[in-house]
Amino acid sequence: MYQTHKTYITPDMKMSELIIENPSLLLLLEHFEIDFAVKEKTIEQICAENKIDLPVFLVFGNLYNGFYPDEKEITALEDISSIILFLKNSHRFYKHDKYPELKYFIGQLHERHNTEDILLIEKFFNEYFEEVLEHLDYEESVAFPYICRLIEKERIEQNNDFSAKEYSDHHTDIETKLTDLKNLLLKHISLKNDLSLRRKFLFSLFELEFDLNIHSIIEEKILLPLVGKIETEPENG
Amino acid sequence: MNIAVLEPSQIIVEGLSNMLMKLKKNFYIYRYSDLEELKNSTVKEQFQIAFVNPTTIQNRISDFVKLKNNYPQILWIALVYSFFDDEVIRKFDETLLVTATPDQIARKLGHFNTGAEKNQQEDLSEREIEVLSQLVKGLSNKEIADKLNISIHTVISHRKNIIEKTGIKSLSGLTIYAITRKIIHFDIYS
Repeated sequence: MYQTHKTYITPDMKMSELIIENPSLLLLLEHFEIDFAVKEKTIEQICAENKIDLPVFLVFGNLYNGFYPDEKEITALEDISSIILFLKNSHRFYKHDKYPELKYFIGQLHERHNTEDILLIEKFFNEYFEEVLEHLDYEESVAFPYICRLIEKERIEQNNDFSAKEYSDHHTDIETKLTDLKNLLLKHISLKNDLSLRRKFLFSLFELEFDLNIHSIIEEKILLPLVGKIETEPENG
Repeated sequence: MNIAVLEPSQIIVEGLSNMLMKLKKNFYIYRYSDLEELKNSTVKEQFQIAFVNPTTIQNRISDFVKLKNNYPQILWIALVYSFFDDEVIRKFDETLLVTATPDQIARKLGHFNTGAEKNQQEDLSEREIEVLSQLVKGLSNKEIADKLNISIHTVISHRKNIIEKTGIKSLSGLTIYAITRKIIHFDIYS
């Protein structure tokens, strides 16, 4: 998946130039806890300084630029802890940044238009985010600890609660509802005025959608196969 | 307009993209190098056109046909370099030769545009409204079929049309749609 106007990222490129081309890469940096003042540094230098695994950074960065990794690139990844760091920080972004922001915008809309339609949208959004939070909790309390124990090579009890199918079902529901919300706002709910507030709300939704999309690709197409690989490895002793 | 290009050659993709851009339409072009990648894409439902190099589906025709049937809104165009097995080509909606001029491409897409306008009539038919109002009351396909005296198959096809026309899939989203269109009353939801 890629849009032809974005660059395919390689280790020798300058981070600043890439950000200017695609500002969404700031989200990538934030999720890796990398400072935005990247100066003239290349991708390789930035990864080394911040102790982020270069292959993981490249695959993720290219997802933000619209390139879907091929199977070889995925199976070559080794540093699962960089992946988990990234995912945990994305969760923080959804919970403590996006969620309050969207909630604030809806609250403002509600204040200015006390209509049935907005009430419904607010209700829909709350239900939707309830689901998102539930899923994030599931990942944090079940999936991530399981994966961490796995890479620490600890023996895993036979009956763990982790299920790859459940993981991916959650994602589909979350993405469906987000698309619905967008379509309701753009096609079906009629409001008057407040364009600036509504634009901010929609932009915020699009940003969330963009990041969530990449998030589920990382979890389903990258993390899960890697975990599956470790699970089937014969035990070393 | 979102366009998928399933083509292993970067040169061909860039060339095609360039020609499409010159048509001065608002295209987003996504490139996939094999069928698996396209199947895994998260943006499939946004595509209106897919250019496909038939060699990429040659040994996986049944997979391709399945994908094509799942996304009937997409115009599937075979991107043909030279003579190709007719049996494969017939699976596509259209054919485009790599030797095509920009004019010929514009015409292919122009033909597509008239088709798109038809789809944009988003108003639901009377029957679809009936199905929707039962659906948001929580009735199952079977119950709706019994109540409206139609087959389950018909209910399912109405549901498919409702989703396609409204762009909304979830039941709670459809409920909101139904309320804002006054198909059902607000009280039912609250």
